[in-house]
Amino acid sequence: MSRFSRINIIWRKELKDTIRDRRTLIAMVLVPMVLYPALMIGSLQAVEMQVSFLVTEEYKIGVLDERAQAWLRSVIDRDRALLRAASEPAATEPAAGGAASASGRRGAEQSARAGVRENPPNYVIQIVNDVNAAIIRGEVHVGVLVDGVPPGPDEDGSARITVAYDDAEIRSQIASAGVAGILERANQRLLDERLKRWRLNLQFVQPLALFEQNVASSERLAGSVLGQIVPLILVLMTMTGAIYPAIDLTAGERERGTLETLMVAPVPTVDLIAGKFVVVTMIGLLSAALNLASVGGTIYLGGAGSLLTQGSAFPFPFHALPWILLLMVPLAVLFSAALLAVCSFARSFKEAQNYVLPVMMAAIIPGVVGILPGTRLEGPIIIMPVANIVVLARDLFLSKFDFNAILLVLLSTSLYAGAAVAIAAKLFGQEAVLFADSGSVATVFDRRFFRVRSEPSAAAAMLVLALVYSLNFYLQQAIARSPWLSTGIPYLNAIALTLIVLLAVGPWFAARYMRVDAMTAFALQAPPARAWLSAVCLGASTWILALAWWQWQQGWLPMDPNLREAIERQTAWFGSVPPWTLVFFLALVPAFTEELFFRGYVLSGMRGSVGKWGAVLLVSLAFGLFHYSAYRLGMTTLLGLLLALLAVQYRSIWPGMLAHLMHNTISTLAGREDGLAPLMRSIGFPTAADAELPAAWVGGAAALAAIGVAIALTARRAPGSINPSPTRTLPSA
Amino acid sequence: MLEARELTKLFPQPDGTHKAAVDHVTFVVRPGEVYGLLGPNGAGKTTTLRMLSGLLRPSAGRVLLNDVDITAEPERIKRHIGYLTANTGLYARLTPVEMLEYFAALYGLPAERAREQIARMSAWLGMGSFLKLRCGALSTGQKQRVSIARALLADPPILILDEPTLGLDVLSNRLILELMRTQAAAGKAILLSTHALDEIETLCRRIGLIHRGRLIAEGTLEELRARTGRERLSEAFLQLVGADEPVFTN
Repeated sequence: MSRFSRINIIWRKELKDTIRDRRTLIAMVLVPMVLYPALMIGSLQAVEMQVSFLVTEEYKIGVLDERAQAWLRSVIDRDRALLRAASEPAATEPAAGGAASASGRRGAEQSARAGVRENPPNYVIQIVNDVNAAIIRGEVHVGVLVDGVPPGPDEDGSARITVAYDDAEIRSQIASAGVAGILERANQRLLDERLKRWRLNLQFVQPLALFEQNVASSERLAGSVLGQIVPLILVLMTMTGAIYPAIDLTAGERERGTLETLMVAPVPTVDLIAGKFVVVTMIGLLSAALNLASVGGTIYLGGAGSLLTQGSAFPFPFHALPWILLLMVPLAVLFSAALLAVCSFARSFKEAQNYVLPVMMAAIIPGVVGILPGTRLEGPIIIMPVANIVVLARDLFLSKFDFNAILLVLLSTSLYAGAAVAIAAKLFGQEAVLFADSGSVATVFDRRFFRVRSEPSAAAAMLVLALVYSLNFYLQQAIARSPWLSTGIPYLNAIALTLIVLLAVGPWFAARYMRVDAMTAFALQAPPARAWLSAVCLGASTWILALAWWQWQQGWLPMDPNLREAIERQTAWFGSVPPWTLVFFLALVPAFTEELFFRGYVLSGMRGSVGKWGAVLLVSLAFGLFHYSAYRLGMTTLLGLLLALLAVQYRSIWPGMLAHLMHNTISTLAGREDGLAPLMRSIGFPTAADAELPAAWVGGAAALAAIGVAIALTARRAPGSINPSPTRTLPSA
Repeated sequence: MLEARELTKLFPQPDGTHKAAVDHVTFVVRPGEVYGLLGPNGAGKTTTLRMLSGLLRPSAGRVLLNDVDITAEPERIKRHIGYLTANTGLYARLTPVEMLEYFAALYGLPAERAREQIARMSAWLGMGSFLKLRCGALSTGQKQRVSIARALLADPPILILDEPTLGLDVLSNRLILELMRTQAAAGKAILLSTHALDEIETLCRRIGLIHRGRLIAEGTLEELRARTGRERLSEAFLQLVGADEPVFTN
């Protein structure tokens, strides 16, 4: 029976078992389909009702003397009479209509204040000794301080009117807004009468007439509202949906005693966890999809959309939905694997619930970072798990489609998800985790109990890969922003040091800690002689093929002009650096560190789990992803594929290191007059930056590369090669 | 034939040392015999059975099934072993039929063969009345019958049974003992671990006594009687583990 068939059998059974559990149905269906819309509509309507109550209340105004009291009374009464006479539509429909807004109480307050300006509530005017103190004590809602004598309709002069209110109190805000509206209209009437008296028009006192014009379409407004709400809900609901099945299928199964029964069956542990993982991911995704449908239905069909936009049209951005759902896939994979990994430790349901809490917090915090106003999909955010999904989802609702960003977010999240899956698989099969009497779970991490291995486990390789991927990105960002390191030789030094520490020193220490033999883990064995021939063929040809790929790619994926400008600036600066210095930083250091890490440590760790060719593909993709650019992804992945081929066929990183060094060295020096440009021209290769590559060169390079690949593919397995199964020794007592 | 050869299991301890739960245990279970594994609680019986069934990896020594090392191809070897765990772990939300179909699929049985086997098991073990109820609603005896059916489903030549009659009523108990007899008579090698000494006496051709991880005695019932000079197995057992002094004295 194939692995696929086994996993198929397992996930179908697990799904049946899970959906028969009413607790799953509650978390997956009831919450999103019933509770969530009810809460959303209910809370919005409650806010609306509260606002309508507020604007019909009677408010108290505090003044300092009888003169001010009489003047204010007359102004209010006149305003009321005029408003009634004008019988504007707003007067019959108090501010309640469309008063609610997405941001809850604050939005409701703003809406209510806007409404009462046009349609003020009833006021009682009281004389108080200290207006501010009376407001603070709650004796009055608002104070009006009159400095000078307010002029009459036929008088000139001016009085300073101060409206005092408590911004922390909603009733004070509404009362002040109403008073301000009354006084603004009174002021306007006095102004109109003065202008008429002096036979002047409005333009005389208003040389600049200011108007604000919002150019956002209703689609963008709707997208903006949804972008603030939906992404974080989806993140939370994906996780909420996955939590219960993750616990039930691991710790729950152990608690019920079915895990031992299952482990006896002739099924590899990795297949068992894969089957469970499929179900947890499916339920997480289903939960997210149901939530999305529920939010959509509530907003689009349930009328919540008009509540959110204060009565204006709410066109639902359906175009964004497929992309949002696509984003949810790696996120659900990441959550499911992380949850399965932590729940695999637990020996009981309760214990697992405790372990899940930190995972939830770890998801919520970057999720909240993602919805902070002004957060953009750039810099560290672009590879920050969860936060990048939230920001990207928000951008998609606003119809911002950045292919580069989508690709990086999807692939980086997939990388983290892959690492989490590998760790979950590794932990699930641990004896100390499976059987309580097999020792403490803590011994799983205790070096003294690690078996000596010839290569790292897939879980360790994926974990180190995910850490190196994110740390390298953050460090490179920090270097680029540093005032001391962002330019010149210090920049090259900093990047080189980062690569050496992250790709060579860190994995070496990881291997030492895990008791992995460095010689086999990093494939440091000497290769056969023919391997060098294969490496030279590839190293001498791939730089031309890379150029050809680059020119071809420009036709269908043209580079962003800003990025192109930045690269041109950097290339121009490289021209001032001595050629061999540049070779050291751009060729030697990357060739040494990247081969050691990708084709050494990661490849040897992955091949035991996904097989030789699966490992080659995954490591090549990881290598492509490691360059953090959609424009370089295809090219670097293909180069990684060829280098991984050399490593996997010869069980040695040295041929790949030579090919990598040649590729980078020739690419760096080919266009330089103090480098290889004179030599290139002498053999007929065009060295101008914008020169078209001659087909003969491309064909020749392809043939040479094919010869290199053919030599590598026909390699015989070297004697004493790595044993695919880890060596076992009896641990010392 | 199932063979434990110098089987050892060391469990890591928080202080950095290892504890030998099973210490160089060697015995053979031959086709057609029921081999009884006896021992007090914590002696290492379950750990031994878990290693024999491929659930735990031996720290040293080997488990051989017809001279093939189980650690070399654990998944292939597991097909030839029916293992009944000490605690009857069933999927509460599945029916016995669904659960048996699931395990039949995991063992690679074609659907038609699986149906036949389930029908046969149901008839042997009297499961007809509860075959379509959810496992969560079954009694202890019914659950144990389903577990036994699960262990026998793929018709494995080796049966490893850990406390198969624990907590069962007399009727269920008799049924399961009878089943063991018929399975052994059919040529299967059965390794039985139990505290019920009368079952060992009536069923087992040979007996191994495990104490503090070591196999301290092995032989037929007559050989153990001759070695200890005690007629009853319980007395022989107590003497061999060094616990034959009276507990209460005046």
